[in-house]
Amino acid sequence: MTSGARAIGSEQPSLFDVVPDLIGTRARAPKPHHKPASRSSQPHKVRQPRPARHYAARETLLQMRDRVLLNARQRVFGLVLAFVALALVAMVQIVWLSVQGSGPSNRPSVASLVPKRGEITDRNGTPLARAHPSLSLFFYPDAMDDGGSPLVRPPSEVAAKLKGIFPHIDQAEVEAKLAAGEATTLIPNILPEQANAVWALGEVAVQTPPDQERHYPQGRLGAHILGRYIGAKDSRDFGIENALNDHLTGEATRGQPVELSIDVRVQGALEDEMGRGMRLAQAQGAAGVVLDVDTGEVLAMASLPDFDPNRISEEDAENTLNRVTYRREELGSVFKPITVAAAIDAGLITNLSKRWDATPVETPGRTYYDYEDKGKVLNIPQALAYSSNTVTMRVAEQLGSARLRRSLMDLGMHLPPEIEIHERGEPLWPKLEPDGEWSEITTMTVGFGHGFNVTPLHLANAYAAMVNGGIFRPATLMKVEPGMADPGKRVFKASTSQKMRQLLRMVTKYGTGQNANAEGFRVGGKTGSAEKWVGTHYSKTKIISTFAAAFPMDRPRYVVVVSLDEPRITKAMAGRTAYFNTAPIVGNLIRRTGPMLGVRPDNNRVVDLSDLDRLMKVGQ
Amino acid sequence: MMMTANRLRQIGWGVVLGICVVSFAILSLTVHAARNEVLLADIKIVELKKKQQRLETEFQARASQHQLAAWNRVDLGYSAPRADQYVDSRKQLASYGQDVRPGGPSPIRVARADGARDAAQPRKMVSPVSGQPITLASADLPQSAGGAFTEAFGDFLIEASPIREAKAQGSTVLVAEAAE
Repeated sequence: MTSGARAIGSEQPSLFDVVPDLIGTRARAPKPHHKPASRSSQPHKVRQPRPARHYAARETLLQMRDRVLLNARQRVFGLVLAFVALALVAMVQIVWLSVQGSGPSNRPSVASLVPKRGEITDRNGTPLARAHPSLSLFFYPDAMDDGGSPLVRPPSEVAAKLKGIFPHIDQAEVEAKLAAGEATTLIPNILPEQANAVWALGEVAVQTPPDQERHYPQGRLGAHILGRYIGAKDSRDFGIENALNDHLTGEATRGQPVELSIDVRVQGALEDEMGRGMRLAQAQGAAGVVLDVDTGEVLAMASLPDFDPNRISEEDAENTLNRVTYRREELGSVFKPITVAAAIDAGLITNLSKRWDATPVETPGRTYYDYEDKGKVLNIPQALAYSSNTVTMRVAEQLGSARLRRSLMDLGMHLPPEIEIHERGEPLWPKLEPDGEWSEITTMTVGFGHGFNVTPLHLANAYAAMVNGGIFRPATLMKVEPGMADPGKRVFKASTSQKMRQLLRMVTKYGTGQNANAEGFRVGGKTGSAEKWVGTHYSKTKIISTFAAAFPMDRPRYVVVVSLDEPRITKAMAGRTAYFNTAPIVGNLIRRTGPMLGVRPDNNRVVDLSDLDRLMKVGQ
Repeated sequence: MMMTANRLRQIGWGVVLGICVVSFAILSLTVHAARNEVLLADIKIVELKKKQQRLETEFQARASQHQLAAWNRVDLGYSAPRADQYVDSRKQLASYGQDVRPGGPSPIRVARADGARDAAQPRKMVSPVSGQPITLASADLPQSAGGAFTEAFGDFLIEASPIREAKAQGSTVLVAEAAE
């Protein structure tokens, strides 16, 4: 701008030079044409021709005016441009700040909160597995940066000193790693005092950078569900850690915790009661599951003996066996209600008061008796309440192989149980005859739960379908939001389900399940004590004792299945059958967890058994 | 004169532009400083969150379900509540105070029930410790002032008084007085 002004000034007369002319010109300017009419009569003054100099000055003046205007415009334009540039810089800065600076996901500090492996929580958000800050022992050969040996002392000496701090390490292996001179993690998850001891060694290349370890705040709780086993020599993931590995480690998904269907309070109570029952009965093992009958959610699932996923343990290696989803056993009499339900559903049992032959069943190789003789004839409520083998065998016989098999297949008992974890046991079915069906005796033994191996989870699923109105749903370990439950498939009529609720309630009120009858919870269920197959024959002393229950029976919401492996008669247990050991476990569990699960005990509410009560008294 | 005005205008614009540039620079620096403060606060928040997570984990580990069950069973001797320990409704709760047997004792009478019946002329409140009568500050005030005082400080007095039952009655009386 200033250069422009200077150029004009140097080549042309400046504006100020011609101003007097301009003033003079204006002063001599002709008057406007629209003079008043009165003056029109006055004679015109003759205008004198202007001198040439005057015209030249006027022209110069006009040129000057244009230049001045141009100059002014340029200046204004430049000024506007400067402001626009300033505004633009400000805008760019605002956009840059908003894009780069303020998004929470873009902040490196927030990103550091995302764990290396996703968190697992229970249905109420209580953490079951999470990343915990720890330290690791790392060998960084370039730390000295002097071109010489990365270690001050020889590798063998350093390895020996490390062995002194970490007694469990393989000294030769560590020495080999140190000698190799490559950056590597020597020991993951070390303790702070161990890190201090390493620091005191004075080896710059042996460092203890921060790391993350997997921690299970609840310790042994739900160890089989979570599935992290750390042995001295081998570590492996199974359960949820294995099944959802991609989700837990995925860049996009690991920031969000995985919500399981488990409720830690119920899980804790189940493990506690099972552990206590197992100790009292001196059993080899125990399995238990609590299932929501309307959604298939597993509220608790426990297998004992268990292990601690936070500790390195050698002796617990066998304890990783999941007895609920993987171990298959003949579960015995708990199958009787399923046979009866299939018979009611098929129209075979239309009258519960019908009397069935309860005398021993003779087969070519064996004679089957009832556990306790309750008479020569029994009706269906009595047969279930007293767990009559003979009546159930005769019901199965009349039902026939095809219809019984169909029912069991509808309940998913011919396939591994449907659940997210991979440890699922394939059921063992009796051999089929050439005609594609079971023989008569096989049908009869399957009818009361023998010769047929399934997992406790199969049984829980079947009981859920039996009491929830007849809908079979696969079990799930993932939390199901309200209204998002699997629609399932109908396997029993609603009327059959209604009848089964009554019958199961009868068993706990009058029959073998009385020890599970938690007051006010309207528990219904069935005992099962099956002789254990010991390779070549059925043991007379070793049994699998099971209790399958549902509550509250006026509107069932949860199924509980608890099974003990080889319970014994002890001072605390008067017998080894389910009546003595598993039924009390279930009763105590329901008493403890019912209120947590939203079921309040109420002595004023009862399941209507008026039509069946009198049947129990028949013949007695 | 014109030259001076023009020059002044030029200088004026320059000064305005300069002020804008300087303001912008100051603003930018302020924004950056604020941003850095936010980032520092952010880092602190994350550190605190990590610390919180560590503490949470420790609490969870120390109060694990197994540990709680052991304390409940062994140290405290707790057991699951029985069905008859649950109360369904107010009626059920009230029924505990009445003996349905013929000739049974009369129902337990609650002090509050007497006060409610005799609300027009409440008994003098006395301190349960010293037995001396207690007078609320607002009780002797003129009616209008009492009403205003009750409105303004009634709740506070009720909260502040160490005598729970008595003050509940007192408040009823005060409000009743205020309403008159």
